[in-house]
Amino acid sequence: MGGLWPPAWRRVVFCGWPWSHVGRPTRAAERAEPCLRPGRSGPAGTEQGLRRLGAWRRPSPAEQPLRRPKSTNPYTRSQEEDWRRRNKTVLTYVAAAAVGMLGASYAAVPLYRLYCQTTGLGGSAAAGHASDQIENMVPVKDRIIKITFNADVHASLQWNFRPQQTEIYVVPGETALAFYKAKNPTDKPVIGISTYNVVPFEAGQYFNKIQCFCFEEQRLNPQEEVDMPVFFYIDPEFAEDPRMVNVDLITLSYTFFEAKEGHKLPLPGYSSNHQLSPPSNL
Amino acid sequence: MSTAMNFGSKSFQPRPPDKGSFPLDHFGECKSFKEKFMKCLRDNNFENTLCRNESKEYLECRMERQLMAQEPLEKLGFGDLIDGKSDKN
Repeated sequence: MGGLWPPAWRRVVFCGWPWSHVGRPTRAAERAEPCLRPGRSGPAGTEQGLRRLGAWRRPSPAEQPLRRPKSTNPYTRSQEEDWRRRNKTVLTYVAAAAVGMLGASYAAVPLYRLYCQTTGLGGSAAAGHASDQIENMVPVKDRIIKITFNADVHASLQWNFRPQQTEIYVVPGETALAFYKAKNPTDKPVIGISTYNVVPFEAGQYFNKIQCFCFEEQRLNPQEEVDMPVFFYIDPEFAEDPRMVNVDLITLSYTFFEAKEGHKLPLPGYSSNHQLSPPSNL
Repeated sequence: MSTAMNFGSKSFQPRPPDKGSFPLDHFGECKSFKEKFMKCLRDNNFENTLCRNESKEYLECRMERQLMAQEPLEKLGFGDLIDGKSDKN
């Protein structure tokens, strides 16, 4: 231990050597004896100790090259260099991990989207959900589901919007038609746009709309009343889902909002290959 | 557009309709078919299975009047109704 410490440090350390220490102090303590002499204790002693301490100062960078090993002992110097090298590799690994994390957080968004589309989790539209399926689907006749309808309007929209039937009984795999009615009692043409909601949420992924009146601007002239149909079906796989065993009631809820002129609302859902067929007239 | 803000619970994701949006029937051209369908529903206790003929007719009316894109009826799930009205069960 003696080799590590520069001489002045040793003196400061051994100044505190207690009188009552068991065993004869070593040669280092005897060398340090000057500080135990009278006059070396008290405030004056400390100052002198500190001054001696001040005599040894940290080598400035100008005097020698940077990163000089702190020790003069060759064994410990190689050890120190070894530590430095290891520190450097660890630092490199940590920096690489940090950059990797940053990259992963950016990549997570499209990857998650891809994952959702392939597994169909979260009710997102599964790719390959085509009209061929409708052609070939077989109604599951023993599972009758009640669909209730709900109609809402946003406060700023003054339409009278209501369903034309309170409920309808369907079976999975069978296409069904339902009607809503909307009337514009004001004297100005109003454009509305609607969205829908299906409760319970898990059943919503089986609720497929073939055609409806949502997500596109619908214009009602003054005092005009129109019928708005919804053509939908429940996916036959609904009957095979164990989570849906107790689901007998599905509520379809439409809400109309007022659309501002020239506003283009983005369609919900992530997949951009969902093309809306343009209205054939109007 | 669900408002249930529970962390971890699946929320509802609205999906656009497969074939897009119905154009509005401003002139009520298919209103009679709709009335027939609604009457059928009311008579049959709102069972859709028994009123599929009427719904097929309503959609045919729409297609004739350019209020709906033309589609073969099989693609709309009415395959069994085209050939024979006998197995309407």
